Amino acid sequence: MKPLFPRSQGDPVLAIGRGFTWAAAILCLAPLPLLLLVATTANWPLGVWAGGITGKWLQEGWETVRPYAFFSLRLAGLVLGINLAVGLPAAWLIARRRFVGRQVLMALINLPLAIPGIAIALALILAYPAARASGILLLLGQVIYTLPFLVATLVPALAQGALLEREAVARTLGATFLQRLWHVTLPSIRSALLAALLLVFTLSMGEFNVSFFLFTPLNKTLPIELYSAYITNRVEVAAAMTALFLLFVVPAAIAIERLGGSKVGQA
Amino acid sequence: MGPRWLAAPLVVLYALGLLIPLVVLLRQSLLEGDGGSLTLENYGAVVTSAAYRRALLNSIWIAFASTLLALILCFPVAIYIERSADPYRHALAVALSIPLSLPGIVIGFFVILFFGRTGLVPQLFLLLTGERQLSLAYTFGGMLLGYLYFQIPRVVLMLRGAVAALPQEVIEVSRTLGATPLQVYLHVLLPALLPALLSAASVSLATAFGAFGTAATLSRGFRVLPLEIAASFTESFQPGRAASLSIVLTLLTTAILVGLGQVAEQALQPQRPAAGSSRGPRP
Repeated sequence: MKPLFPRSQGDPVLAIGRGFTWAAAILCLAPLPLLLLVATTANWPLGVWAGGITGKWLQEGWETVRPYAFFSLRLAGLVLGINLAVGLPAAWLIARRRFVGRQVLMALINLPLAIPGIAIALALILAYPAARASGILLLLGQVIYTLPFLVATLVPALAQGALLEREAVARTLGATFLQRLWHVTLPSIRSALLAALLLVFTLSMGEFNVSFFLFTPLNKTLPIELYSAYITNRVEVAAAMTALFLLFVVPAAIAIERLGGSKVGQA
Repeated sequence: MGPRWLAAPLVVLYALGLLIPLVVLLRQSLLEGDGGSLTLENYGAVVTSAAYRRALLNSIWIAFASTLLALILCFPVAIYIERSADPYRHALAVALSIPLSLPGIVIGFFVILFFGRTGLVPQLFLLLTGERQLSLAYTFGGMLLGYLYFQIPRVVLMLRGAVAALPQEVIEVSRTLGATPLQVYLHVLLPALLPALLSAASVSLATAFGAFGTAATLSRGFRVLPLEIAASFTESFQPGRAASLSIVLTLLTTAILVGLGQVAEQALQPQRPAAGSSRGPRP
């Protein structure tokens, strides 16, 4: 984006914008240092760093978080795999073909975006009460919740004119479909694909609304464990657990932003 | 037939994972007690029960309040990020995207860290004045702050697309004509960005209506619809009631997304015949 005003420092319209932007950015970032402050304070209810600085809450938090972190990572891996297997072909079809029912298919894919996560979860549990214990509903719910984001990120990348031309050239040179896919298509959509995968990963790792009805004691995700820590554990441990959780999602989220693939999940 | 079968796995997955469950949800909402005959009793309760009516009004109130605040705060932000030449504006944009990756419960916990009984702000007050002040985490004010937090990146994203599409001269011309900054914002930029503001409002409202995590962490007295859904299913085990509330909530969010989205698109038509693709992501 070419800047409108080379000397924007002097423009009062942008100066107002700068003030608002700093205020909003500080609001967004301020909780992160506070989180670390609480997590490293020996006795937070008595004050900042009351009782000294300690690493014991982070250590205790990690002990608590670890099994759920591994479970969430495994779940996110499965969600990613199913997303790719199901979403990539559908995204390719939507980007490349005009067919009867294309609009209906796109509307169907975006349907979960309009439905609150808690309603999706309730619908799943009422439809398949016997399947809850296996954890399959948790997986299914998260796949349904994340698929629209994968498809929405991949379709524009697959529809680029330059990519279509390169594929056509490869075809005239005698490349087979699989050769074109592997040597032309996938490398060209690499960054969109990476953004989509990171997006599905962060959405799955942080998912709470759908998982809240669908988890079981044996299939418990990290955010569900965080929630029970907020209700029952002492604030320092809860802060430590949250800080550790953020290590899984914030770097990925920043990478997504750098790749230009921001998409919005539910709160 | 062509390669349409490529979408077959997705369609099967959606049928099993979404469409059939939604039909079951609808059917459950129309059943009396444990099975039995069809009835509208569950929907009647949504209207007649004082608690549900309260929750519905609370949901409407916090959704509109947080959306309005987010629009006011993020409107100048989007203009700055897209139009300024400051070298650090990209870093600010990344900072503003942080809340996107956070689940609602974590955002609720942030509010507790600042404004809970032992939160930073009440502790500072205790230190300075000898009394705890502003312990408002579990009140409407605390929830509003949490909702605003998750609205910020959503609204900024949707407005940025529209600002980027704005003709370059818009601000320049009005400034050379002697308009004050406030006049530029209210009389030039506000009308020009109205369609984007409406789309942003629709996404923001729908997100707020569906928000569960933040409310679950922060709500003590201030009940909202998603909390009543959870309570009617897990606490009092009334699946029919939970189902009817879910249907009401889903219709509400869908109506807002589609309805306001339509209005926004119509507002866009006379300005730009090629319908803007800047509508951005949906929650």
